[in-house]
Amino acid sequence: MICSDAFKTTADAMAGVQGAPGYQYLTTPHPVAGLTPEQVRERAQDVVDAVARLLAR
Amino acid sequence: MTTPDPDAAREAIEYCYEQGWTDGLPVIPATEELVEQFLAHTSRPPDEVLWRMEHLERECTVHTAAINAVMAGCLPEYFPLVLAAWDAVMRDRAAKGGGWQSTSGPAPLIVINGPIRHELEINCTGGIFAAGFRPNATIPRALGLMLRNAFGLVPHVFDQTTQGIPGRWAICFGENEEESPWEPLATEMGLAPGTNALSATLTRTYEFVDNRHTQDPEQLLNDFADTLSRTGSLIFRGQSSGVVFCPEHAQMLAGAGMSKAEVKDWFVEHVGRSETDLRRAGKDGISDSGPGARSASEAERAPADTFTPYFTAGKDVPIIVAGARNAAISMVFRVFGEWSNSSVEIEAAPVAATKGG
Repeated sequence: MICSDAFKTTADAMAGVQGAPGYQYLTTPHPVAGLTPEQVRERAQDVVDAVARLLAR
Repeated sequence: MTTPDPDAAREAIEYCYEQGWTDGLPVIPATEELVEQFLAHTSRPPDEVLWRMEHLERECTVHTAAINAVMAGCLPEYFPLVLAAWDAVMRDRAAKGGGWQSTSGPAPLIVINGPIRHELEINCTGGIFAAGFRPNATIPRALGLMLRNAFGLVPHVFDQTTQGIPGRWAICFGENEEESPWEPLATEMGLAPGTNALSATLTRTYEFVDNRHTQDPEQLLNDFADTLSRTGSLIFRGQSSGVVFCPEHAQMLAGAGMSKAEVKDWFVEHVGRSETDLRRAGKDGISDSGPGARSASEAERAPADTFTPYFTAGKDVPIIVAGARNAAISMVFRVFGEWSNSSVEIEAAPVAATKGG
């Protein structure tokens, strides 16, 4: 899972509610809403290695 | 009534603070006896689930609602209105779909029709958006406490509000049916005239229109259209906004021969912005050819003179009449999602409750 870093507190609390406290996920800098498609691709490039590492754990 | 012990009262209130049950203001400590008095005002069973938020694995029952209505400062006879308010606002698709946790921090707008407005001394005239009246202040507060205490929507955690709306849990009033030139909201929504009814929706900003300057209805409507057409609160295509007309403005429009439906139609035709205006604000993405939330690229842009209407039909512009005749000041509000365009009948209290049983 990837969420923007403004929602880290909510994501951590949600993991606790769902019975998975400490659930590992990734963040990307907030905000995301106004990014162009090209900027979204750049964000994906920035995080892709971390996604692979997380999935391989 | 014997003089209560203020120290004991303070101690009980502080206990509620320590448990995290309050919205920042003191709450009334809910004793079992008091909660039972509230439950006596509805035929609905205490264990009936009003709503369940599956993703949070939390729910609110009629009993939990009664506890929070007590804490909010309601009287027992307000309880059917608290339940009706919850039912009415939950008809909103947005409220069902996570709207309560939105970054907008939307506020429920609650409007009451029928003789119950007078029986419970619900304010319909001067100061409807201000403080000073117990049912107006405590019925919406009960919803806020239900969301906090039953569903766990605490600010900074599951309540993701960025700034929120001033008076988020305090927007509740009766329609000024006596001075309105048009049919009451609940009648317009299909309920029989004289029905005790409640309508509600989630809202995202309020801004008033002060126009004591003209007697020309077209000029007046243009002043409203300017405020309704603002780009600031615009987020998607198909925005819904409403007007709480003061009696003077409503009477001027009705005096010119306009029905409520005709006023709505006028707004549907005139409220919106040109592509040039939307582009200037970075919101040209909302036009028909645009990509939606983000600003349009060159290829996605509509011609500069394209007019993008905000509303699709009269249902997108709820109209209410409330406030005093003191001045020609009305309120424009933006609906958070899409109002259900319906009203909920308020349950009459069971006979035992009305006899004080």
